[in-house]
Amino acid sequence: MQSNLSVLLRNPLAGVFVVLVVIFVLSSLISPYFLTSYNMTVLARGLAFVGLVTIGQSMLMVLGELDLSLGVNGGLCGVMAGVFMVQLGFNPALALGLAIAFGAFLGLINGLLVTMLRLHSLVLTIGTAGIFGGANLVLTRGVAITGIPTSVQFLGRGDVLGIPVPFVIMLAALFIAGFVMLKTPFGRYMYAIGNNPQAARMLGIKVDRVRLILFVVAGALAGLAGVLMVARLGTAQPSIGDTWVLAPIAASVIGGVATTGGVGSPIGAIFGAGIIAMIENIIVLFGVSPYWQGIVSGAIVVLAISFDAISRRYLRRDLA
Amino acid sequence: MKRLAMLLACAAFALPIAVKAEDAAGTTKKDTYRFVIVPKVVHPWFDKVNNGAKAAAAALKAQTGANIEITYSAPQAADVVQQNQILDSALATRPDGLAVDLLDPSGNRASLEEAQGQKIPLVLFDSVPPEGMNITYIGSDFCEQAKIAARRLVKLLDGKGEVAIMMGVPTAPNHSIRAECHRKVFAENPGIKVVAEGIDNDSIQTAQQQAAAIMQAHPDLKGWVASDASGPTGIGQAIIEAGKQGKVALVGLDNMPEMLDMIRNGVADSSSASQPEMQGYWSVMMLWAQATGAPVPNYIDTGNAFLTKENVGN
Repeated sequence: MQSNLSVLLRNPLAGVFVVLVVIFVLSSLISPYFLTSYNMTVLARGLAFVGLVTIGQSMLMVLGELDLSLGVNGGLCGVMAGVFMVQLGFNPALALGLAIAFGAFLGLINGLLVTMLRLHSLVLTIGTAGIFGGANLVLTRGVAITGIPTSVQFLGRGDVLGIPVPFVIMLAALFIAGFVMLKTPFGRYMYAIGNNPQAARMLGIKVDRVRLILFVVAGALAGLAGVLMVARLGTAQPSIGDTWVLAPIAASVIGGVATTGGVGSPIGAIFGAGIIAMIENIIVLFGVSPYWQGIVSGAIVVLAISFDAISRRYLRRDLA
Repeated sequence: MKRLAMLLACAAFALPIAVKAEDAAGTTKKDTYRFVIVPKVVHPWFDKVNNGAKAAAAALKAQTGANIEITYSAPQAADVVQQNQILDSALATRPDGLAVDLLDPSGNRASLEEAQGQKIPLVLFDSVPPEGMNITYIGSDFCEQAKIAARRLVKLLDGKGEVAIMMGVPTAPNHSIRAECHRKVFAENPGIKVVAEGIDNDSIQTAQQQAAAIMQAHPDLKGWVASDASGPTGIGQAIIEAGKQGKVALVGLDNMPEMLDMIRNGVADSSSASQPEMQGYWSVMMLWAQATGAPVPNYIDTGNAFLTKENVGN
């Protein structure tokens, strides 16, 4: 029995999962509105969009890379979906597919620059974020593209057996990412590169190819998030993605992904994103003053990661 | 038998009165009401709206004895995605009413439809409803407010010179309406040339940066108008930093303390001001009326005030 508990607590996801459960239970006890089916839907839908970007960002972080352009990539892909559907009159399915492919293309640009020119991904993507965000403004002049066909709005507003469609899509993406990272040789290559790229190269792992693939995948996931948000809003807003820059990085770190690479998984990152989404939700449910929101949400995040770190240290020591 | 007949007669007389009282609009009564106010963004202009809302809550409590709770939930950034997230979370608390300043009518539509689906009373302030949606909205005539400012600038410049427009949040309907009406007034005056338009996204810092850059690029610029409350403050700072006070005219918007100071100091000539406290006040009144079952008007005009050095006070 103690052995099973020991195995459970030694799991790197145990700490963040416990924090997630504690916040969930406390919120349920304190607010009568938290555990309603409607609020659960609101939470799931809100988590889905930033969750997709978080999956991509956390995979890059495991590799030891960061892409700060993923948020604006998602926004630009949303706008491109609007351009394809409304201004160019493309079939909606084709338009959405093209917009997601465009996100992958933007990721490819980042990946090529990182691998070919040996640029630091953090610095490079600050620059490309400016370019992608600027392109967004050039295309829209700051004005949303309206007239998105209602046929695509099911992807953002609809549900499957009461579960929001974007959340189902996010879960599917998480399952695939988790499977690849934890169960395939490609996933093992990712951890090897994240731990020591030189050693990985000496072992014969095609480091640059893996990097390139992951930048493309992260770009496509950001594009998917942007497209789904357009389906949710019914307009292609130039501001889509503005809040998807730091939140996925914070979620990944809360979820146990090391910024130095080689540690963590998208599953932990989604737990982290869940904690952030719950904090944002309960702040409104509890009617916290907007001027106190930063302090309250920041304090909860600090408490959460402190609890995670302390519990790991003490529980592992006790159970050793 | 006679007593029974009398009882029946009394009941027959009383019934229509009772039915009428039960059916009468605005007679539903509760001891407590909770109204949620969701502005565009955290901003001092919306604090004034919140103050007005609280004043209305106090007035209703004094007059009716009911407890009116005002919950103020503002997005940290002027982002429609974040605002929808707040609206959806606020709906989960089943409030007695929701007053919203829409960032974008089309982008906010799904959340508003959700509120209507849940039969939660809705009021919009400082913005107009999405096309085809019947929601009471409260505000001033945005176009007229902008025209007052633009006409004043034209008058200050004797009908000739280069001018610039600060657009605020381009997707916000009130900001875009004001920008469009500025353009209309300038187009009516052939001597006036609009040489630049900035986007400040309702941020004083962005407005200052945009205004500084535009004045660098257009050294002959003679005047500014703005479409949001943050714009004039940023423009005023840029004018002071560029040493162009007295050379570049500024006709501002709204009645923020910084705006009033700039009028007093002569950095700005005047301001065409909406009345945020009144918008908050009547938002709560309209929500309360709806919650009691009373019919409400489609639109309430809270009017504009024109502020100059003469009437702005100390």
